[in-house]
Amino acid sequence: MNTLFLKDMRYRRTRVILTSVGITVLVSLILLLGGIMHGMRIQAQQYVKSTGADIWISAEGSGGAFIGFSLLIEENMAPLNTAPDLETGSVSPLIFAQARPLIRGKSTKAIVVGYMADKLGGPTGVVEGKMFKSSKFKDYRPEDPVPDEVIVDEKMGVQIGEQITIGTDTLKVVGKTKSLMFVLDTPLLFMDVRVAQKVLLGNYPRVNMMIAKSKPSTIPGKTDQAITIAANLDASDAIEARTVKQTLDDIIGYYVDEPMKAVQFLRVMLWLASGLLIGMITYVTMLEKTQEIGVLKAIGGSNQYVMSLLLKQVAIISVIGVSIGFCLSYIFAAAAPIFVAINFTESIIVAAISIIVCCGSGYLAARKAIAVDPMIAFRGEIDMGYTPQGETFAHSDA
Amino acid sequence: MATIIEGIGLNKQFGIGDAAVAAINSVDIQIEEGELVMIMGDSGCGKTTLISLLGCILTPDSGELKIDEQVIDPENQDLSVIRREKIGFVFQLFHLLPYLTALENVMVAMDITKTNTSESEKRAKELLTRVGLSERLDHRPAQLSGGEKQRVSFARALANRPKIIFADEPTANLDSRQSDNMMNLIQEIRQEQNTTIAIVTHHEGLKENADRVIHMKDGRIITS
Repeated sequence: MNTLFLKDMRYRRTRVILTSVGITVLVSLILLLGGIMHGMRIQAQQYVKSTGADIWISAEGSGGAFIGFSLLIEENMAPLNTAPDLETGSVSPLIFAQARPLIRGKSTKAIVVGYMADKLGGPTGVVEGKMFKSSKFKDYRPEDPVPDEVIVDEKMGVQIGEQITIGTDTLKVVGKTKSLMFVLDTPLLFMDVRVAQKVLLGNYPRVNMMIAKSKPSTIPGKTDQAITIAANLDASDAIEARTVKQTLDDIIGYYVDEPMKAVQFLRVMLWLASGLLIGMITYVTMLEKTQEIGVLKAIGGSNQYVMSLLLKQVAIISVIGVSIGFCLSYIFAAAAPIFVAINFTESIIVAAISIIVCCGSGYLAARKAIAVDPMIAFRGEIDMGYTPQGETFAHSDA
Repeated sequence: MATIIEGIGLNKQFGIGDAAVAAINSVDIQIEEGELVMIMGDSGCGKTTLISLLGCILTPDSGELKIDEQVIDPENQDLSVIRREKIGFVFQLFHLLPYLTALENVMVAMDITKTNTSESEKRAKELLTRVGLSERLDHRPAQLSGGEKQRVSFARALANRPKIIFADEPTANLDSRQSDNMMNLIQEIRQEQNTTIAIVTHHEGLKENADRVIHMKDGRIITS
């Protein structure tokens, strides 16, 4: 008869199923929201990491390469050219800006990355087609014609030979790069830095940032060379310099954590909702079972006996709901129209916390339930917890 | 005969102040081993409260209660232990668990005392066979008649070999034929097992089955 609680669950299967479905939905939503945020973090980092640069330089007061408005002029770049700790020739101009290109007549969100093909900042090869033609960044003249070519993310669905219009300029797609989407699947359009200046900056010879690679330390075991270099460069009044770690923190904070604060709040609320859901349903079920609980107590069932029956049910419903929600979240993530990366370790933790929250609220409801007066067994009707004043049986039942 | 249950100066009051009602008022009662006692009286006279006190479901405000020569101390004793080891209950509305079969409903009482499943199943089958329900073991309460439900309830009360069974209006929801059958069964089982039985009833016709009739009025025993 150790399956008494299962028989009760089978008898009340509609309620059990509905409760489990409720928990399933809430848990999968919690995990999906976490997966969306994790996916955004991965996408936010992958471009920065792909460049291979470990020093990121922006204009003084910009707050970081990806945070505020940053335009560097030639004078700003002077300290870089003389910086002895940077790898020779590694200093690279970079334009990174959001744009709304017209593709097949449709306005699309994208990020324009302007760089020099033989330097840091973008892919050095393509998976299909060819690289864009390079212009001369040094000694250029605004009136010089630029190669109106662009290479696109392979997942954009744009074919080689198609045209993309940015502002008044039209560029021809000449190649496709390995997928490197930015936050929320925003595709990157890679082009020569001169082309980016033309289409985004009205042909002004400015860049958003410069990136570089530090020389390895000559001191054995010293691995924080980039930090020292960034700090030295940052001392200049004209520029701000950050390590790759600082840049990643900036970019995640700016593009993911700040805008997703509401989502984080929502996740906590969903947790509370799932706890509340199982607590309420358990409590309502307890009210319905008041007479049964009273009878079990009257025929000798201890509080622990009744509590164990109730808690086993709560635990099973929680585990079923959370487990299905766990599996469904991965299925939904795979089918989602945006990049969702559910972190396995995090999802295990979320699932464990969800089970604890559900069981905790179920426990609170069950505690209330076991206070039922066994005297109710002598009554014909279900009494919602009325206890005559002066009753002392409750403290006598263990 | 040994005294199986004894209450001395039992008092029980519900409510406080002007709303206070003395449900049981200075009641002295003794029930001997193997006795079949009927407790009778008008509605609200305190019959059910009395068997609730004697059955350790309620605790008295004052007075002393002894069951099987053991003084009950509600402050320091787990009354659920006494209920499951020494007492069986039969309720007016049967109170069988709707999701369990007749067999399982009897086994529940032994599940509470942690009797192993095979042993409790064997005893439950024996008891249900004894009460004439060997063909109804796998029926759920909804598939049983009122008389059959009450017999399952009686088998459940007997499951843990209690010292005394308290039955609250066991025939109130049965027709006269079922009622007679039930009383015959109670008599038979009492004789076979020497079980002490206390029945609360309004039904004057049942008096003839009793060894003794206790009449109550306004929370007091008026004849015993």
